[in-house]
Amino acid sequence: MQYNLLNKNQLNDLISFLAREQKVVAPVAQGLNNYAFTEIKNGIQATLNYIPTTLPPKKYFMPQRETLATYDTTQGQNMDPVVEHEKVALFGVHTCDLAGIQCLNMVFSEKPKDQNYLARKNAITIIGYECNAYCDRFASCRLVHNHTPNGGYDLFMTNLGDKFILHVNTPAGEKIIERSHLFSLAAKADLAALERLRQKKREIFEKNEIPIEHEKIPELFDKSYQSKVWADLDKRCVACGNCTNVCPSCYCFDVIDEPNLDLTTGRRYRQWDSCQNETFAKVAGGENFRKERGARQRHRYYRKFRFPIEKFSRFFCTGCGRCSRACMAKIDLKETLVSLIKEQGMENPNAGRQSTIAEKPATF
Amino acid sequence: MNKPKVSFFDFACCEGCQLQIANMGELLLDVLGAIDVVEFREVMSEKWVGEFDVVFVEGSITTPQAIEHIKRLRARTKTLVAYGSCAAIGGVNGMKNNYKLEDIRKSVYGKDANFFPTVETKAIHQVVKVDYVIPGCPVYLPEVVAVLKAFLAGLPRPVPDNAVCVECKLNENICLYERGVACLGPITRAGCNSWCINHGNICYGCRGLVSNPNTKGAKDILEKYSLSVDLIANKMNMYNKCGENDNRE
Repeated sequence: MQYNLLNKNQLNDLISFLAREQKVVAPVAQGLNNYAFTEIKNGIQATLNYIPTTLPPKKYFMPQRETLATYDTTQGQNMDPVVEHEKVALFGVHTCDLAGIQCLNMVFSEKPKDQNYLARKNAITIIGYECNAYCDRFASCRLVHNHTPNGGYDLFMTNLGDKFILHVNTPAGEKIIERSHLFSLAAKADLAALERLRQKKREIFEKNEIPIEHEKIPELFDKSYQSKVWADLDKRCVACGNCTNVCPSCYCFDVIDEPNLDLTTGRRYRQWDSCQNETFAKVAGGENFRKERGARQRHRYYRKFRFPIEKFSRFFCTGCGRCSRACMAKIDLKETLVSLIKEQGMENPNAGRQSTIAEKPATF
Repeated sequence: MNKPKVSFFDFACCEGCQLQIANMGELLLDVLGAIDVVEFREVMSEKWVGEFDVVFVEGSITTPQAIEHIKRLRARTKTLVAYGSCAAIGGVNGMKNNYKLEDIRKSVYGKDANFFPTVETKAIHQVVKVDYVIPGCPVYLPEVVAVLKAFLAGLPRPVPDNAVCVECKLNENICLYERGVACLGPITRAGCNSWCINHGNICYGCRGLVSNPNTKGAKDILEKYSLSVDLIANKMNMYNKCGENDNRE
């Protein structure tokens, strides 16, 4: 695999090239510092300098509502699976969102495999885009090691100031390089420039945003199940569900059968659901296993920082900060973690400095 | 299969929710293929004297005559649907309950007030048993169809109990609080696909509050955005005053 260069004035040509063969979606400014992945026809519409979009790119992998099957009970019980997908190029995906997609890939590749998800995934080309500095104060990508690229893309763009340098990660990425005729091979000086940029980033993302070592987080959560912090969140949370709907690694859905008016034919679809919703843990008879909003918030945090460690050996928090930005009650993930850390006396102000986790060198 | 005999009736309301049926467009043909509308004053002259399978009731109960009328309707139908905000949660008519009955009667009817007996506003379920509820001002047609299908299939269909924010976020709208506007989405029941916010309006809470609202938390939110708590109290009052009747019972 190799590094290639793209002139800044050829960005538009790249988008046009991609748009000839597939739908191209990229972050587009919506006003009031809100951005959304939206279909674009040319590069001018896209905004590369953006804070995380309102909804993460997961909406292209598992749409908010997605038909899974149609049924017809005129003669017996006939059900036909529906697997909808289209070719999409996701342009300008930040490293936090690449991590989110990696999380979802793991979840939906488990047996039984989710064919609807995988069909969409296989039709999606991902072009990542590096953040050279923090987007805003809500991000905690350093804590979860997502401030630099860790794979999960076909091409990955870094802004070197006067040009873009692209890392080619897959054959699909290579094809774009070859067929578009827009790229030139990176020279040693360009790779040195990339290395300087990464060095500067190491200074910007100098230590963890939250005073705890990455490796200590599971222990923090092991000790915090009965924490007072959850009682505080119980008072503040209004259960609007924003935190989970905007989360790049939340994937819970509800499955609903919708008959047509003839009552013999219809469709089965799934729709995003949320552990924050009142009815999520409610069962027949009216019992609710997580009636308290504080218990639902706790569940959400454990689903990001504790449970997936057992199951997938990684955090499911990508550090994007969306839950904090979108919270009506201004429940801030960083503040919650700091409160837990203080409660347990696990504060380490230098956490993350000279991390033992080797950063991937941008060499060749 | 005989098509179910369906009728529409109204009490204190603007009749706009019934008008939504007439506005249904092409889908109305499919709906009429599944039901037999036997009485519907807004669109037809025929009356029905027998039993109904379903009665859609728009409007809230505000007079002694209305109490008798809704009881008679209940006795004549197998299934009763509270149709629209006035029927489902009392709606704007509930604002009457902010005043003493005598005062409000005199203010409206002046010297003739004695000819117009009145009672405090009630949602339909606060007077008779209701089988299905379709809140909304006006009703959201996809939900009307969903309830109709549930009825036809003999299934229950509770009003969604999550916040309007859920659907609003799925629609990727910019949060109105970021525009500095107070919106009732965080504590109002979803099911309208955030209809108003999609079109640039705020949520007025016309679908009623979620079953377990964190009203204290909602007030804290307003303070955080430097919005007046009275503002939201007034907004909640606009559609949800009759909810107090439920709390009392």
